[in-house]
Amino acid sequence: MMLADHYMTAEPYYRAVGDEIALFEAAYATRMPVMLKGPTGCGKTRFVEHMAWRLGKPIVTAACHEDMTASDLVGRYLLDAEGTVWHDGPLTLAVRHGAICYLDEIVEARQDTTVVIHPLTDDRRVLPLEKKGELARAHPDFQLVISYNPGYQSVLKDLKESTKQRFSAIEFDYPEARVEAEIVMHEAGIDAEDAARLVAIGARSRHLKGHGLAEGASTRMLIHAGRLLAKGIAREAACRVALILPITDDADVREALSAAVSACL
Amino acid sequence: MADRVDAVREALALMDAQVARAFPGALAEHFARVCHDLAQAAPPGAVLAYARHAPAAVPFVGADAVLAMAGAVGEVARAAGRHAAIAFAAAAPAAARVTRDAPSFAGWVGAIALLAPSGAAPVVAVLKRSESLLEDLGATGFARWIQEGLRATEAAPERRAAFFALEGDAGRGARARAAGEIGFAELDRQLGLFATMLWGEIPLLQAAPPDADGRQRRASFAGTVIRLPPAFRGVAARDAANLYRAAVAHVMAHLRFGGARFPLGGLKPLQVALVSLIEDARVEHLARRELPGLGRLWLPHHVARRDGALGAASLLARLARALIDPAYDDGNPWVEKGRRLFAEAAAAWHDPAISRQLGNLLGNDLGQMRVQFNPRTHVVEPLYRDDNLGLWDFGDDGASDADAAALPRPARLESDAHRPPSPDAREAAGETDRIQTGRIQTGRVRAVALDAAIGIPVARYPEWDHLIRATRHEWTTLVEYPPPIGDALALQARLGRRQALMERIAALIRGARISRPVRLRRQAEGEQIDLDAALAAAIERRAGLAPDPRVYARTERHSRDLAVVLLLDASRSTNDLVPGSGRRVLDLEVEAAALFGRALQRVGDPFAISAFCSNRRGDVRYFRIKDFSQPYEARTERRLAGLDGRYSTRMGAALRHAGAELALRDAYRRLLLIITDGEPSDIDIVDRRYLVEDARRAVQDLARAGTDIFCIGLAGRGESDLARIFGPRNVLHVDRLETLPESLAKVYFRLTGT
Repeated sequence: MMLADHYMTAEPYYRAVGDEIALFEAAYATRMPVMLKGPTGCGKTRFVEHMAWRLGKPIVTAACHEDMTASDLVGRYLLDAEGTVWHDGPLTLAVRHGAICYLDEIVEARQDTTVVIHPLTDDRRVLPLEKKGELARAHPDFQLVISYNPGYQSVLKDLKESTKQRFSAIEFDYPEARVEAEIVMHEAGIDAEDAARLVAIGARSRHLKGHGLAEGASTRMLIHAGRLLAKGIAREAACRVALILPITDDADVREALSAAVSACL
Repeated sequence: MADRVDAVREALALMDAQVARAFPGALAEHFARVCHDLAQAAPPGAVLAYARHAPAAVPFVGADAVLAMAGAVGEVARAAGRHAAIAFAAAAPAAARVTRDAPSFAGWVGAIALLAPSGAAPVVAVLKRSESLLEDLGATGFARWIQEGLRATEAAPERRAAFFALEGDAGRGARARAAGEIGFAELDRQLGLFATMLWGEIPLLQAAPPDADGRQRRASFAGTVIRLPPAFRGVAARDAANLYRAAVAHVMAHLRFGGARFPLGGLKPLQVALVSLIEDARVEHLARRELPGLGRLWLPHHVARRDGALGAASLLARLARALIDPAYDDGNPWVEKGRRLFAEAAAAWHDPAISRQLGNLLGNDLGQMRVQFNPRTHVVEPLYRDDNLGLWDFGDDGASDADAAALPRPARLESDAHRPPSPDAREAAGETDRIQTGRIQTGRVRAVALDAAIGIPVARYPEWDHLIRATRHEWTTLVEYPPPIGDALALQARLGRRQALMERIAALIRGARISRPVRLRRQAEGEQIDLDAALAAAIERRAGLAPDPRVYARTERHSRDLAVVLLLDASRSTNDLVPGSGRRVLDLEVEAAALFGRALQRVGDPFAISAFCSNRRGDVRYFRIKDFSQPYEARTERRLAGLDGRYSTRMGAALRHAGAELALRDAYRRLLLIITDGEPSDIDIVDRRYLVEDARRAVQDLARAGTDIFCIGLAGRGESDLARIFGPRNVLHVDRLETLPESLAKVYFRLTGT
């Protein structure tokens, strides 16, 4: 079977915080393209993996970067001994075999790259393989999902209006403290009290967003700190290693964060 | 030469025993060689002094460090003379005794060598005190103090001796800073971040004015403004940060959990002190419920002990400790009663009234104990707690004062006294070392200094007369003046507070720096295969033709090729206050220019900053703040800070001059950005439209010559004029400073971007 490696074998842990599962299922039912918006490390990728598992569909993920060209997504001719041979890119793979194609951090990709998804995202559901002279029709199971981090530098990096308007969007944010603590507890394997402390620190660090930090500590970072705790690292050291040092290079901010974290503990 | 060497030999013979002890074995020979080398560079007196004193330093810092010092002695002798070198060598044993290790000793040696070129007087002055300075500052602080002194007296070397002799405020202040006593200036931003993170609000932190009566100032708050002492005296540098944090955390606890101000009513001073004390403990307890780690910040400062005297001051301090430190056991019945009552009220801690109730109760008890309480000498203990004035409602006077102080910081009025004059101006006034000068005096001196500066006429420019529809040739004279130097500290502090903006610009700039990648096809070398070329080559090979070997492709980024001039309007009208902010238009311009300059410096685009004003057509003044060839540095910001709004706005001539400057740049794209409040005028012109039309003409001429001109209008006034001059699409109106950097960046993208 094609894409055998792309099925989720075990259920990825996901703690629903709202009606996002129902929303996604409804969108999938009509194969509507979905955009997952939210800050880094709040669970977008985990969510889409969870949904792939729940729907029993394979998932093809492509992490977008600024040098990504359309052929990185669609595919390209490669040379071999006999001449040239066509290789499908991740998007074409998903289109042909009916996977959920998840384009992570779509804003990072160049705007001329993102337009290749346009014919797939309206009722045509086709992918023109220009180089190959082929029009790939989407498998009935195919769905396109993109993630999008509306960071504050959106002047610079923003989706084209014509791209945005093809998607339905589900908004993500860091969950409320109780839920986030539950997630950290589960993922890191620490007790409720430690998890609550970490979450309190995380929530406070988010106050600094735009004031010294581009983003506060994400749920993912809190889980990292929790995992260190679970391995017996002392609280302050774990926070320093997993939360403070990665998040800033600015000495002032680092000092302030250290002092504030220590006040929270 | 021969007699020098003889003198050394003689000295060595005299001190043989001592030397042998200090430099055993092969080291003795090494020492002799070092002395011999030194004799080549330094007069005999210095060599003798070194040979006599060096052995005494060895036990503390080791032979190597002492031997290494000889080079510096020679250097000092050469640069500062024999006396300085002798004093240097003589000070070595004492310095070694204090520093105690080789690296610190080397630090001291290096610092003195650094000072040597300043001449004998400063070196001798410092050496006289080097023992006590080293004790107070440590080797690093000592070196820092020397460096700061050299920097501070750069412009006026004649003041150097006084500085290093600690005769003026400057030297003493720098010494205090090097000792880490002054902290707020360094910690301002950090404390702001600390409080923002913990409480989710950006605190309004200010340095309290220096205390007049010599007593240590406390933190205080009025409304939401938190004033912190410029320094906590006698607190070591490493503890200062924690003390400031403790103080900020305490005041933030007041702001978060405090209620309305307590009415003073008929309370006696002792009761006021006690109510304040209970309130302090109450808010701290509430804050610690959320942030347990704050206890570790506060508790170390509570040092009251049960065996203290039974005076009111001691009892209050002990009660303060008992209320917040559960591990503290006092034993005094009154203190224990206070602790018990407070603990019993735990359920009602959220209500500030409890403080008043308990405070009154305990105050009565203390009164019956006939404990003397002197409100004049009373200070709140411990050090981190605020003076508690913010808790009380003193009636109308105090309230109005507090309200004035409660203005949010961005809208704070900066009086002239906060802008120290340029060094030149200070000299003109015959002042030596005083940093703070009176307001009136400052203003006068500044004016004199500016007018006294000699401008150099550099160019004549035409002017367009819209009435006769003709150009008046060589009508205006452009005079370049050296930009006045100001104190950039306030500017830098303001920029520091604009960190969020800086980061936003940096993010935008980061994108700008990465220019658009271009794919180069059919290359002989490259990272990827150019598929079309490869296919063609394969076909040609199969067809038996010679294939084209250029089958690679690579991606390159096109470099940005542009030059920017930022032109600032520094006319009198920029001294107007921006409505609703209390700051001058010029302040906004300068701040924006500094933000822009810092950002552009990071992108690496060549740029220049100039400012202009005019005094009739014969004297259009042009200040070069930064040339293309200069880096953007601290000096640039001092020049920016020195700008003052004067005279009028003959925009056309300034535009022409900036455009001419830009035309010399060999760049693909030339961009002239002008920031103005948008009212071209001059006193020899009555017709308001005349200068508008002339500026419009200048813009058109420059545009035709290929220079892009964009205007940023501050304060949103004179809109029609600016649109008329630059064209509506080339004007951006900015009302709030918050949007200015973003607007600048947007403009920048529009004009330079991909």
